[in-house]
Amino acid sequence: MEILILGHMKRLNSMEDKFRFSAKDIALIGAMIAVIEVCKAVLSFMPNVELTTFWLIMFTLYFGRKVIAVVPAFILVEGIIYGMNTWWIMYLYIWPLLVLLTWLFRKEDSALFWAIFSGIFGLCFGALCSITYFFIGFSSGGIAAGFNTAFPWWIAGIMWDMIHCVGNFVLMLFLYKPIRNVMKRF
Amino acid sequence: MKNTSTKKIVISAIVLAVLIAAFALLYGKFPAKSTAGDKAIVIEVVDESGNSTEYDVDTDAEYLKDAMDDLAEADDSFSFSGKDGGYGLMVQVINGKQAIYEEDGAYWALYVNGEYGQYGVTEQPVTDGDTYTWSYEAAE
Repeated sequence: MEILILGHMKRLNSMEDKFRFSAKDIALIGAMIAVIEVCKAVLSFMPNVELTTFWLIMFTLYFGRKVIAVVPAFILVEGIIYGMNTWWIMYLYIWPLLVLLTWLFRKEDSALFWAIFSGIFGLCFGALCSITYFFIGFSSGGIAAGFNTAFPWWIAGIMWDMIHCVGNFVLMLFLYKPIRNVMKRF
Repeated sequence: MKNTSTKKIVISAIVLAVLIAAFALLYGKFPAKSTAGDKAIVIEVVDESGNSTEYDVDTDAEYLKDAMDDLAEADDSFSFSGKDGGYGLMVQVINGKQAIYEEDGAYWALYVNGEYGQYGVTEQPVTDGDTYTWSYEAAE
């Protein structure tokens, strides 16, 4: 009985260790958020060209579970800097979805694959954002109102999604290998 | 392993191509629709202090930018300018008040009949009786 309890405790401790962050991990998480925010500020003059997608994919691939802390912290920092408006609600599910999808394909190591993956994500960004608008419309007039709010909003921004797609594709295609080589050292 | 990876690349490339084609088709099929003819509209400017100025505009413009050009020509108290992008004008200054997000932490938001606008000023269709509100909005 005692052995069973000890075994159970050992398993619990090992699970706890899995989700416990060391001081080095916390510093690394802070550095990851800083990298994303700096890149965001530097590229802010180019609408829909961003490196957030690129970095979240790379961080998921190379830092694994630590990204679980990066995403909510990043979203919180964004909200504090820019204000928690409608777009912030979108961030709550869009970036975790990116991390989840990346994790599903984590065994892939092709720059072309990740460039296409990033491109698809950029292209679908507006459609994903429009889900929030669907619920805004839905809350005032049901399914039809939700659709009438979300659909035109999404369609109007498709050209921007195309730019997002191209930007994501090109940035990942050219940056994947050099950044991967650097990150492998950590 | 290499074959599996190549297969995934081919499948994802096909998915991307299909999505681009489908989205382009939808964009072409459901553009912002404009209407020709005379229209009476209201262009409202809400400044950083929340003070509102309304301009009644009679115009045959089909898109908001043209209606605002008409207003600027007819009324010296109204002016606007901005930066031309690939997809139209990004309004940055209205009635002398600049709102460039990177510099001022604020932007000119467009509302149509009180609802957040879904198009830029160049693509926003003008409809008789509508109110177009430009509101100075600062980052919180």
